[in-house]
Amino acid sequence: MDTQFIVSLAMILATFALYIGIAVLNRAKGTSEFYVAGRGVPPLFNGMAIGADWMSAASFIGMAGTIMMLGYDGLAYIMGWTGGYLLLTFLLAPQLRKSGSYTVPEFIGDRYKSKAALIIAAICTMIISFTYSIGQLSGSGVVIGRLFEIDARLGTMIGVVIIAIYAAFGGMKGITWTQVAQYLVLIIAYLVPVIFMSLQITGNPLPWLSYGEVVSKLGELDRELGLSEYFAPFEKGSKWQFLALMFTLMAGTAGLPHVIARFYTVSTMKAARWSGAWALLFIGLLYFSAPAYAAFSRFILMTQVAGSKIAELPAWTKTWVDTGLLKVADSSADGILQWNELIIANDIVVMATPEIANLGIFVIGLVAAGAMAAALSTAGGLLIAISSAFAHDIYYRIIKPTATDKQRLNVGRITIVVATLLAGLVALNPPGAITQIVAWAFAIATGTFFPALVLGVWWKRSNSKGLISGLLVGLGVTLAYIFAAKYGGFTILGIIDTGAGVFGAIAAFATNIIVSLSTKPPSQEIQDAVINLRYPEQMTYKDGEVYMED
Amino acid sequence: MVFHKTSLQKRFRKLKNRGDLVRKIEKSKADAYFREKNTYMVIYFIIWAIVSYGVVLIAEPLSDVYFNGFPLHYFMGAQGALAVFIILLFVNAIVGDKIDKKYGIDHNKNELIGRGTTSNH
Repeated sequence: MDTQFIVSLAMILATFALYIGIAVLNRAKGTSEFYVAGRGVPPLFNGMAIGADWMSAASFIGMAGTIMMLGYDGLAYIMGWTGGYLLLTFLLAPQLRKSGSYTVPEFIGDRYKSKAALIIAAICTMIISFTYSIGQLSGSGVVIGRLFEIDARLGTMIGVVIIAIYAAFGGMKGITWTQVAQYLVLIIAYLVPVIFMSLQITGNPLPWLSYGEVVSKLGELDRELGLSEYFAPFEKGSKWQFLALMFTLMAGTAGLPHVIARFYTVSTMKAARWSGAWALLFIGLLYFSAPAYAAFSRFILMTQVAGSKIAELPAWTKTWVDTGLLKVADSSADGILQWNELIIANDIVVMATPEIANLGIFVIGLVAAGAMAAALSTAGGLLIAISSAFAHDIYYRIIKPTATDKQRLNVGRITIVVATLLAGLVALNPPGAITQIVAWAFAIATGTFFPALVLGVWWKRSNSKGLISGLLVGLGVTLAYIFAAKYGGFTILGIIDTGAGVFGAIAAFATNIIVSLSTKPPSQEIQDAVINLRYPEQMTYKDGEVYMED
Repeated sequence: MVFHKTSLQKRFRKLKNRGDLVRKIEKSKADAYFREKNTYMVIYFIIWAIVSYGVVLIAEPLSDVYFNGFPLHYFMGAQGALAVFIILLFVNAIVGDKIDKKYGIDHNKNELIGRGTTSNH
């Protein structure tokens, strides 16, 4: 066992002890506490918890690597995964908060007064969150496996056990405060290496201001090698793919049940808008830094690694070559490693760069602990969403309305354990790359919940027939496009499977509107309740009049 | 849950019974509140679309312009759009509070009512 292993392990264990300690201290007691943390989380902390919930293994481990590989085209992820917070905060969060629902399916079931709608929405929630959590668990498996130098599958199993325990026993309340801690760990773990690299390369401790020069230099290096410039637009995909991917990620953000659920934990509509603002600020810290991380990594690889003698490569290359995620092949047989002879997988850029840049064992251990925080915190939020869709929406609302708090809580806990085990099983042999799986989850959310919620909140004429057909058509079109693009090579305007949500959303909006208009309008009661969502809590709309409580 | 037929009526009866605490306000005043909020929202969304979708559409010509060492299209994708998003969200939160104040909305009261909406669960 080398020093690096001991330091990394110690840092991960220390942060785990912190999260579990907080979860145990806050162990949930009643149902209301379990799902929405008793609705009393202040916006600033809720913003951090949203940030931890939001920033998954894909953001922390995968995104900088993706940007490094795709150049400008990778920035669709930066804008897409942040711009969605405007859709969410302006169009949906305050209104959903006023509705007083616990979960997204419950809102849909009550808004449309339809049990069928509730069940379909609960199933969509479970599909989206489950797909997403597969990516998280396999991400945690890669980190644990790499760290302990064990098989990634064994790493995944360790991750499954840990996440199942604290999600099942802590509930959302445990997780809210745990996630505040996780946010702090992961943001520090992400910023420290970027700041160190900025100092190393530019002498400026503020990477956000200094890396513009590095980006321009990368373009020069590419020109010398006869490659297309790093920052040249639309080299890796069409402009339409860029726009479609960006839209899918934005609308998917606004339709993700586990993110929306966070907005049910605030006390008022006002708190919902402030939570959205704080959340994006905290998320932005990482998203501002990811392109800098990518640029510095690429610069170090191009100037310090490429061009060195194959026989004299530093020790870090061997460990990563052994994982199969890094390839150095001296195809020109000149004994020198050329830039085009170095093949590096997206997913190791964030993990390997601190080693490459020689930032020291503590920074490397910190990054490992941060990556685990990112994967586990998101998995926690996802599992709560699956658990509440089943225990609250299907079991309590449909199967057994007389269930006691205790029974519901137990069903919720069992659901978490079962879902974690199932997701873990799939993660042992994942159906695609982590980022790909995550992008599918976004596409499905864009094709189902985004249109359903926007029309449900803003258009009182939308009825249950329109909603149900819209949900089913959106789900069908999205899934069909993903499969046709991925396996059949079918594309429209060069839009591939990751941009599928745009077609699902168009189909779902059109179906919902056309079917609603050609069938009976919803009852006056429902239409009044939709109008009621326009106003703050103090105002109540009833029979064409507005009443105000003072 | 305001969508439950019974709870909406129950809640309304409760409001009536407390009589002196509830007053009817002009529907036009409530609508003005709603319109004012929406006007700002439309402005925010126009800015949001210009800095993200708009800039991507004209990325090629922008790549000849440099800002702080970056080609401008790259700067907007990596930092500019995100900075504008964050600013818009905080502007929305602050302006939203101002509009609430202008229409006499009392935040503490809302908090009490907001907590109340979960009591039937």
